[in-house]
Amino acid sequence: MRRDAFYSVHPAAAMLFFVIVTVTTALILHPVVTGCSLIAACAYAVYLKGGKALKFCLCFVLPLIAIVAVLNPVFNHAGATALFYFRNGNAVTLEAVLYGVNSACMFAALTLWFYCLNCVMSSDKYVYLFGKTIPVLSLVFSMVLRFVPRFVSRIREVAAAQRSLEPRLKMSPVRAVKHGLSVIGVTVTWALEGAVVQADSMKSRGYGLKGRTSFSRYKFEKRDGALLTLMLVCFAVYAAAAALKRIDFRYYPTIRAAGCDAPALAGYAAFALLCLIPLLLNILEDAKWRALRSKI
Amino acid sequence: MACIKVEDLSFTYPNGKKRALDGVSFEVRRGEFLLLIGASGCGKSTLLRHLKSVLAPHGSTEGRVCFDGRPLSEVPDREQAERIGFVFQHPDDQIVTDKVWHELAFGPESLGWDNKRMRIRIAEMASYFGLDPYFDSDVAELSGGQKQLLNLASVMALSPDLLVLDEPTSQLDPIAAADFLGTVRKLNTELGITVILCEHRLEEAMPAADRVLVMEDGRLIFDGSPRGAASALFRASSPMFRAMPTAARIGCPAGFDEAPPLTVNEGRSLLASLGLEPKLLPSAQKKECERRERLRAEGLYFRYEKNSADVLKGLGVTLYGGEIYGLVGGNGAGKSTLLSVLSGENRPYRGKLFSNGKRLRESFGAFEERIAHLSQDPRTVFSKESVKEELFSAAQLRSSDPEAAVTAAARLMEIEGVMERDPFDLSGGEQQRAAIAKVLLTEPEVLLLDEPTKGMDASVKAVFGDKLRALAGMGIAVLLVSHDIEFCAEYADRVGFLFDGSIVSENTAREFFCENTFYTTAANRIARDTYKNALLTEEVTELVLSERKRS
Repeated sequence: MRRDAFYSVHPAAAMLFFVIVTVTTALILHPVVTGCSLIAACAYAVYLKGGKALKFCLCFVLPLIAIVAVLNPVFNHAGATALFYFRNGNAVTLEAVLYGVNSACMFAALTLWFYCLNCVMSSDKYVYLFGKTIPVLSLVFSMVLRFVPRFVSRIREVAAAQRSLEPRLKMSPVRAVKHGLSVIGVTVTWALEGAVVQADSMKSRGYGLKGRTSFSRYKFEKRDGALLTLMLVCFAVYAAAAALKRIDFRYYPTIRAAGCDAPALAGYAAFALLCLIPLLLNILEDAKWRALRSKI
Repeated sequence: MACIKVEDLSFTYPNGKKRALDGVSFEVRRGEFLLLIGASGCGKSTLLRHLKSVLAPHGSTEGRVCFDGRPLSEVPDREQAERIGFVFQHPDDQIVTDKVWHELAFGPESLGWDNKRMRIRIAEMASYFGLDPYFDSDVAELSGGQKQLLNLASVMALSPDLLVLDEPTSQLDPIAAADFLGTVRKLNTELGITVILCEHRLEEAMPAADRVLVMEDGRLIFDGSPRGAASALFRASSPMFRAMPTAARIGCPAGFDEAPPLTVNEGRSLLASLGLEPKLLPSAQKKECERRERLRAEGLYFRYEKNSADVLKGLGVTLYGGEIYGLVGGNGAGKSTLLSVLSGENRPYRGKLFSNGKRLRESFGAFEERIAHLSQDPRTVFSKESVKEELFSAAQLRSSDPEAAVTAAARLMEIEGVMERDPFDLSGGEQQRAAIAKVLLTEPEVLLLDEPTKGMDASVKAVFGDKLRALAGMGIAVLLVSHDIEFCAEYADRVGFLFDGSIVSENTAREFFCENTFYTTAANRIARDTYKNALLTEEVTELVLSERKRS
């Protein structure tokens, strides 16, 4: 993974960005909005993960778009413009095809945004965000993150140890389930034993005393404030245009879009800028580095 | 000024018939390094747990513990959390969170420190304990030794006056253990922190301690200087003397029990001053012709993922029936990986395996080929409610008379007394023996053991070593992977050194260790100028004694 400028942004700002972008993308079925979102998500994912993201786009996202685009008109026959008819008399309509393409693109954009979210929001950041409000929740979250991988690898270890003590017969499903349950049982016993020690270790370090706080490694800097303002302004412009009904789009029965006047254009531009913030931040930082390096 | 004062402390567990602690009294001065020793199950942990109210076990207590001049019961929990630090035995179990930085912050968070104060303290801790490169890492990425250092660091984050450590190095390899004890010593000398340490591994801990307490059956039987402890245990011919540092075990019988040597260096000076005549012990006869090959590996190559580095690189090894093969080597040399390949859990991508001279298929079953593998944690093989059921479940698969087989295996491993108990409730040494008994009932010809002596004290280890000899006597080929050089030197017939994925040297135990300078037993390091190939403490003691008698 590349060094990502957006990664170092304050978790609250980063989280807000993802919430705004994904919620807007999911709720508004509009070709321009979906398009902006999809292109920005795709570009950011490729910037973050390079070839791996590209492969993900080609192997997973494109087929997804194709499948939904084909399936929607097969099952959905609304729309006025019939392209052709099935034998049973059902029509395949232009509106349904386009609607399918748009919703498929929306799914793709959401998938890619979550892909980026995974790269940017490490477990620490969630822990921090929740810890701000409920300190115990962040601790529980952190403990679960430690416990689950340990438990799973222990299950593997126990299964391997017990398998080597038995003949390699094909087990009947009933026996296999029994065997699996016994492995889990042993692992649970082990985990409970460990939990006793862990509880002692927690008590010994003062867990349960009043007034627990939550350590945070993040500082809200001026840059985060500026970024947050930019995000909110963009969203406000977009929301104003939407409130003025300048960003409306209707698929059924016939396609009808709101006019392409100044408020609408401003709304589109604001949304596009919003989606591109992480990428722009990176481009800006890269440029700064190049400039610094050329001076040396 | 006393940091801790224990006055006539007695304790009985709710269902216990005997007192776990019986009239224990002692005092620890500020800044003192106190070492508490005693055989497994003598009440050491019970005593340590009484030094912090939240950890004190349930039961009936008499007598009292004072901290800083006040009865411990009157010291508020908040103050105890801050001023009395406690590190436990298992590095993994006592870690609470998933990230190194979060673990360091755990104590301060509990006490409700503000962010600024925490930030400074955590930074201090990470740098002092050398954890800064891992600050952002998942705890799971650390080695056992680093995990235990993290536990120490996160306890020290509250800057306690008293540090109580309950067998903190028993799960670590010797290098990590020495490192850990070195850090504890540094905390004691540089920061004046009072340390109460309970240990099995006395080679390094004894010379570091200011004072030693010896416990036996819930009583304190000795309280005094480390040298005094060694000499008192020797004079009382206590079984605990086995656990003393090698130098003391050589020095005391040789007549220097007034002030016995404790370190290798002191032991060397003592032997040099005696002006002994150099001697060589006869090397063991090789029984080439009688040996029967059980398992042979040729040119094994293995790696976990296609793009990762090779863990095994052209490794070859042969195991013979009736022989104990000790495999030593550092962390990450591939010891555990080798066992998983030899038992068929992992497949080598190149190389061949032969069982009794017959080439093994790529995917062979360990059970069918009579290869038994016991991993580092013996608890992984248990799945039943009692040891008896455990053994029966294994015996039914092979034996026509499970009853007799179970009885025989239990007798061999000396676990008849615990047959009705839950295997998870046994002590570490008993668990290891019960697990081996279960594995034996599958009638293996090859037994692969991974660090079986981890966490065992000296006398438990001796019992276990004898059991291994008995197994070899039955014609089983035993492969023993271990960090425990002393154990390998005493019980292995041949020893191999695994380094960088292959066996770089291999010889009979005696030839192997006396060729090495660093990687050899403490007795050999003490006596090598005079008795070049003496490996065991008993050997050196005997040689010195016979010489002294003659002169």
